[in-house]
Amino acid sequence: MTQAGLSEGHAPATSRRLGGPVIDGLRDLRDLFRLLGRTLSLISHGKREKGAIVEQMYFIGNRSLVFMCITMGFIGAIITFQSAVQSQRLLPDLTMLGATFIKLLVRDMAASLGAMPLATRVGAGIAAEIGSMVVTDQVDALRMCAADPVDYLVVPRFIAATLMGTAVLIIAGAVSIVSGMLIANGMFDVNFHTYLNFSMVTLGDVALGVTKMIAFCAAIAIISAQRGLATFGGSEGVGTATTRAVVGSSFAIIVLNFFISGLGYFFVPS
Amino acid sequence: MPIVFENIHKAFGDKVILDGVDFRIDDGECFFIVGASGAGKSVMIKHLIGLLRPDQGEIYLDGEEVSRLSERDLYPVRKKCAMVFQNATLFDSMTCAENVALPLRKHTGRSHGQALEAARERLELVHMQDFADSYPAELGDGMKKRVAIARALTLDPRYVLFDEPTTSLDPVSARRTDALIRSLCDDLGVTSVVVSHDLVSIFSIADRIAMLYKGHLRMLGTPKEFQETDDPVVRQFVRGEAEGPMDV
Repeated sequence: MTQAGLSEGHAPATSRRLGGPVIDGLRDLRDLFRLLGRTLSLISHGKREKGAIVEQMYFIGNRSLVFMCITMGFIGAIITFQSAVQSQRLLPDLTMLGATFIKLLVRDMAASLGAMPLATRVGAGIAAEIGSMVVTDQVDALRMCAADPVDYLVVPRFIAATLMGTAVLIIAGAVSIVSGMLIANGMFDVNFHTYLNFSMVTLGDVALGVTKMIAFCAAIAIISAQRGLATFGGSEGVGTATTRAVVGSSFAIIVLNFFISGLGYFFVPS
Repeated sequence: MPIVFENIHKAFGDKVILDGVDFRIDDGECFFIVGASGAGKSVMIKHLIGLLRPDQGEIYLDGEEVSRLSERDLYPVRKKCAMVFQNATLFDSMTCAENVALPLRKHTGRSHGQALEAARERLELVHMQDFADSYPAELGDGMKKRVAIARALTLDPRYVLFDEPTTSLDPVSARRTDALIRSLCDDLGVTSVVVSHDLVSIFSIADRIAMLYKGHLRMLGTPKEFQETDDPVVRQFVRGEAEGPMDV
């Protein structure tokens, strides 16, 4: 085991013989929860560098904002356009177009659709950065300096990604409402006031949407950090870690969305 | 005996790196671990400071078994046993002085200002005081290596592990690094354990040499014994010959 509680490099030969992928997957899951546990415990009593969280908030938040706003802007426009086209086939009245889109966006899509591009931007960045430090022995050098790599590298990124990721998703969600409104107005003559109808959105919808955002951003950070710390080999290893971070984060977003939506169905009915 | 490796086994997956290696290192010695690339030299010294754990075997440092210590319990071990990594491993976001100050802050709890002041003194030892406020990206490989050595010496360690200290250095920087390592042993009484395949370094500053080959200790002796050996594998290595029985 390494400092981060991660398995050292390759799996033992016996585990490979005994059905490798399943055992590797379980080991990854165990490492992931172990890292999450250590990260959460170090948030309260860690000794990380001053300014590390603010620095990461800048890298993760500010540098993702434009990309996320553009992406979600296009997504809002596309969904509004397609919804309007389909609705018109059944019913010529588009007065509820904005209300239903906003409800869906607040409850789910701002989080789930937004988290996917965020995983590519933030997750890949975290995994590549930590992975590069692992393969160049910088993580071992940290351990030699009595600096806990989890406290030093993972905790600031976890806090920053969770806080700023959520903020970015909220802002990007707002941009997608604006882009949807412009499309609705420009192509289907739905006026701004009619489109901006928040009457269907409840406090429960907002709580559910924000819960998803926090969960997805935390998952992106911890999965990517774990992939980074488990990097083995040279630049090829960093590439593999980055790919696995994005794949793992995307998969986690879908699985978490399933369970949080299921809970939301019972506790925050639509 | 300050450092004892007993029956060390280590494998990564199916690949066996160390297959029962034993040797001892004396106090104040300049001890070289040599061998072909992939022979397990770096793996060997990383075991001593808990960066890797042996699959089997014991490692004693000052009579204390260190291979089973927890990460927290390894802090005192790492305080007296510093390491200079092959790639210098300076932190890009910190200046040279901040890099050198980091172990002081973390190990001894000194304030940022106090640690920086001590770091500047350490940089003087390696003639890098004029670059204290430079970032690693602004330095050449040899300069980075010297800053890394200063960082390793910050806590006045009794043991310093060098992982290929002269690799990627020009000949002049390499010989200066050799001289620095030798002076650590002669002037400060530091025990230096050097992983290398730089023949000039090996035969100019080593007190004793251990050669690893195919997971085993192939030979342990003085530079003179290595030069006079009849072992064809060792002879091929020390002569740097392309043809021979050595399998790499």
